[in-house]
Amino acid sequence: MNEQEGKTTMIIATHRLSRRSVLAAGAAGAALLAAPAVVRAQAQPIRLGSLTPLTGAGGAYGPRMRDAIAAVVNEVNAAGGVRGRPLQLVTEDDQTSPEAAVRAARKLIDVDRVAAVMGTWASSVTTAVAPLCWENRVSLFTVSGADSITLLPHQGYIFRTQPNSRLQMRTVAKFAVDEGAQRIAWMGPQTPFAQSSIEEFQQVAQAANRPFTSLIYEADKATYRSEVDQILRARPDFIMFGGYTPDSIVLARDLFRAGYQGKVMAPAYAISARMLEALPHEVTQGAMVYEPWPEVASTAYSRLQRLLGSGVEVDPYTAQTYDHANLAVMALAIGGDGNGLAIKDNVRRISQGGGQSVDNAVDGLKAIVAGQKVDYTGASGPCDFTAEGDITGTKFRYQRVDKGAFQVMKIA
Amino acid sequence: MENYLVAIVTFAGIYALLAMGLNVSWGMTGLVNLGMAGFFALGAYASAILTVRTGAWIPLGFGLAAIVAALAGAALMGITRKLRGDYLAIITLGFSEFVRLVAANEIWLTRGSDGISGIPGPWRGELSPAQFNVLFCVIVLVLVAVAYVVCERLRDSPYGRVLRAVREDDTVAAVAGKAVDRYKLQAFAIGAGIMGVAGAAYGHYTSYIAPDIFRPLITIYIFLALTAGGVGNNRGAVVGAFLVMAILEGTRFLWDVVPGLAAVQKAALREIVIGVLLIVVMRLRPEGLLPEPVPKVLDKETTR
Repeated sequence: MNEQEGKTTMIIATHRLSRRSVLAAGAAGAALLAAPAVVRAQAQPIRLGSLTPLTGAGGAYGPRMRDAIAAVVNEVNAAGGVRGRPLQLVTEDDQTSPEAAVRAARKLIDVDRVAAVMGTWASSVTTAVAPLCWENRVSLFTVSGADSITLLPHQGYIFRTQPNSRLQMRTVAKFAVDEGAQRIAWMGPQTPFAQSSIEEFQQVAQAANRPFTSLIYEADKATYRSEVDQILRARPDFIMFGGYTPDSIVLARDLFRAGYQGKVMAPAYAISARMLEALPHEVTQGAMVYEPWPEVASTAYSRLQRLLGSGVEVDPYTAQTYDHANLAVMALAIGGDGNGLAIKDNVRRISQGGGQSVDNAVDGLKAIVAGQKVDYTGASGPCDFTAEGDITGTKFRYQRVDKGAFQVMKIA
Repeated sequence: MENYLVAIVTFAGIYALLAMGLNVSWGMTGLVNLGMAGFFALGAYASAILTVRTGAWIPLGFGLAAIVAALAGAALMGITRKLRGDYLAIITLGFSEFVRLVAANEIWLTRGSDGISGIPGPWRGELSPAQFNVLFCVIVLVLVAVAYVVCERLRDSPYGRVLRAVREDDTVAAVAGKAVDRYKLQAFAIGAGIMGVAGAAYGHYTSYIAPDIFRPLITIYIFLALTAGGVGNNRGAVVGAFLVMAILEGTRFLWDVVPGLAAVQKAALREIVIGVLLIVVMRLRPEGLLPEPVPKVLDKETTR
């Protein structure tokens, strides 16, 4: 994008998407430059990048996340594109590795010249590719939870549809107190959200006058006997897990062996269906899980379910990337040059602030072309953003394990 | 496209530095160093912490990175000098995990698994991203050139001959009156220092480092680079690094020519292709693309 900056500002002002067209414009001279940019822009596709984890630790989610984005792109193209310009989806694999993701993002930004990068999952991946995005004026849509991400100097280019970890933890800690927890403990490996989780739990526990203790362990151990002994010295009756499935399996087993009788709670990605299969029912009995929950009742969610097929489980991350694509597409339709700057400037105009409520980009594009103000309500929630790019207002679903199966407790 | 190619050359240059560092300890001296990611991380963190915390001049960060990594290498070699082969490999692998865990848990120093963002790059604010990209590519290539010259001098010198003697049979070297432990320690430290410089370059280029970047996978890539290029040959280390990067990145563009596969299948296929290509290189050229040159002195003696 930037070798263009050496040329006249006229070129930049009229068109900055494709190097080839810039060269063509330069060759044709001033006469062509005088022509309206729209004329030349008509056939140019707008490229969008998917950077989900197709392999590595996030490989269980990435493929569906990418399919959700592709579904939106196909729908919009079938309906005639964004103001006459077709969309083109470019898929790269972030390999759940910040090192590999930086190279993949460079390819998306420098070779494909995408307007937006969507679907980064691991917090370290998002933080690694974020500077590339804002420096090259590409919008970044992410599902990562680490608080530090929206605190980066991103100039408005980051949009996060995942509630940040403090908001999640505060909600869950209050749930724990409501469930009658008397002595609360938190155990988990070192992650970008471990420290903030502990702080939020501590605050809620203190406010409710409950003793609180926490322990950070090493993630890939075969046994947590000594850690369990240490935490049980505080005699907790409610233990919150902060890790992932492999360590949570070991931890739950060792807690059971140590005779722990109290309650256990974990994020749904930790106590997962895989964990229920791996452990006997008596070990997992009564364990509770929570997750930010898509607006299942919403029309956007059912539309996404229909697009992906009824056999596909629409998890929160998939719902969020579906929203990423819808938001980006509608923001592009509002105005600007079909680039990341246009998305950055316009997302809040279509995501919040009242107007005609829409649940998909195709309807949204029609309304926008007709000059109406739209307010998108997505599959993951209302999709309203703060100035920092954080989401406001998300629901959580709580489930309890009974005889090796999840039973929904409540959605709130 | 140009920006992307420049960026890939930059990353390949960083890989080349790592491969040359590995070549000094493993290729020349025979000391298996699976702790490469650890020295890479030490360099990256040393320079990032210095420049972010104190606003120090960036070249000072590079210098500190080299010193910290070299000292750590010397210390590690000092306590493991009686170990060889597999045992040394295990200890060094443990060392790199140890560095990563310290980086993840000592939040006061390293900001934990959040990582350190906003690491300054030379003239990053004043230059456009494309100009910065080119500038840093030049810096990395200069570093590669300097490291290459230093490593070649090392290899050609009497000192390099002693290292090779230690590699082939350290008892013979000891009998010949060489202080084997001291040579091992120095070679390991020099290699680690070069890896530390690579770490500093990575941090200042991408502006972000986190413990996740320094997982053992990168060590494997560099081992492959050096083996494919030619163990013991500095030119081979550089060529191998560029080859591995070309394979890693080139497979991205396979997507366009393979029809009828889902995105996730293409991603998996890409990893398979990377593996197969490396196996093919190993199978066809087990001594590497550029085998270690036979020293001239030996030539004369054998032909006489």
